[in-house]
Amino acid sequence: MEALRGDRKRRPRVDTSSAAGLRAMLEDGIFEFWTDAPEPPLIVRASSLRNVKDTTDIALSNHARLRGVLVHELVRLFSVGAEISSAFDDAFRAWQLETVAGELFDYAQRLDGDDLARLATDVMSHYVTLSRALGVIPATFQPRSAVRASVMMHGGTIVLRDVIDLMVGTTLGEVASVALFDVTTSPLGTGAERSMRYHALVQTLRSGVVPLRTSVFSSATGEMWTLDVDGELLRRSVNDVLDVLRAMVKHA
Amino acid sequence: MTTFIHRRTGVSELNDLIRSAPPEIVQLGDDHRRSLAARFRAVPSNGHRRIDSWNVERAGQPAHAFRWSPATARRTLGNAALRRMLRDPLCSVIDAINREIDDQLMRDVAGYAQRGSMASWFATLHQSELALVKADAANWTLQMHEIALSIEDQWSVCASDAFYDVARARTTLRGRRDLEVVLEDRCVLLRIRSGSPGKSSGPGLRSDLTIATLAHPQGIAPARMIGLWPESGVCLGVDGTMSDLRAGARDLVRTAVAQQRYHQSIAA
Repeated sequence: MEALRGDRKRRPRVDTSSAAGLRAMLEDGIFEFWTDAPEPPLIVRASSLRNVKDTTDIALSNHARLRGVLVHELVRLFSVGAEISSAFDDAFRAWQLETVAGELFDYAQRLDGDDLARLATDVMSHYVTLSRALGVIPATFQPRSAVRASVMMHGGTIVLRDVIDLMVGTTLGEVASVALFDVTTSPLGTGAERSMRYHALVQTLRSGVVPLRTSVFSSATGEMWTLDVDGELLRRSVNDVLDVLRAMVKHA
Repeated sequence: MTTFIHRRTGVSELNDLIRSAPPEIVQLGDDHRRSLAARFRAVPSNGHRRIDSWNVERAGQPAHAFRWSPATARRTLGNAALRRMLRDPLCSVIDAINREIDDQLMRDVAGYAQRGSMASWFATLHQSELALVKADAANWTLQMHEIALSIEDQWSVCASDAFYDVARARTTLRGRRDLEVVLEDRCVLLRIRSGSPGKSSGPGLRSDLTIATLAHPQGIAPARMIGLWPESGVCLGVDGTMSDLRAGARDLVRTAVAQQRYHQSIAA
């Protein structure tokens, strides 16, 4: 976490002017290929950028998704310094407090003893990797977990949705201090880099302030990628989003 | 003619929106209150009615039964934690939330908490569930604090929502408000919302504006009611003009009528 925040003296001045330009770039790009307004609106998520090609991924299985959800709950508990006695039980209880229905909920209800034990072992191994990497998050970092964003574009016909697992720092102040931290239970691949850029873009459009860094951590391998956010990274993300939207419009 | 302003939630945009609030002070008198009470009395009611901006936005459709969750508790807990942080600047967000929860648990242990209250719900939670409640409240508090610190005028966290009992109409109106900004002789109210604004957000803000005016002892309207949607980076505003207040009151009465129709259709 300290590495993510970096040396305060070396941080750039806060950039509040790029957001308007990025929004204009996106709007202009959309205008070039847009035909009719779809109903309901097109929704872009970080997962849309990860799975550009129509492939079946083992990470999309119910077991993997439930494991991912539980690991994200653990990140939320970490963010407030909670003492975790049993990673699986604590995460499962926390998840059930918010979730009362849905496909994953039904899947979890149907799990038998063996499946539950397998899932618990899986979650425990991810928890150990995550806890070693995160350590204790100081309250002065102002950690926020599961930060949602929903940015409407093109008159509300396109919505860029995102959930950032952990965000530290503040948008106020003279130097950039917001660091975005995404946790995935899959090994890191090319899609992970696109989603890192996407988190930075959506956060910029939402708050009007360019974040300092964006990072992704794999609790499967213990690997962490961190990128400093600059104009080039954000422009690449705009192109990523336009590519995804072009594909969506083509298939619609 | 009603007003409706749309801006991004940048620091300068928000401050411009606050400072450009109309200078005229609008006041609701006894005649207005009597007229509103008469309209509510004309709508039959099966029991005591409670109407807020959420009911207005849903056009009186019956909502699901209320249940406590991290999402429903975060505003109450988060606002109380922010007030505590402002009283004690050395207190961190997590400390403030922990102390608020401890106070609530003490109320439950002492027997002051009613059944179904937030305090009694906290008492039933496991440590990990309570930690999730804290995480949601911390998000709310930090977001509120960030917004408040970006305001260049004098501000305070509202101690409570605005409540107004309509005389002899068995109706209570509840107006939500989170921050109050004082501009010389007038004030601007801010309300923080989750998600994205919808088509009915304007009427929702207008009903909050009307209820805040009715709840004021002298019936003075806030100069502007601003709704902030930080998740979308959007803020909307309605002015405290007489036409906006009238539109807000009309929406509240219409909601009571729609609620009554829903009740009748369920009974049939």
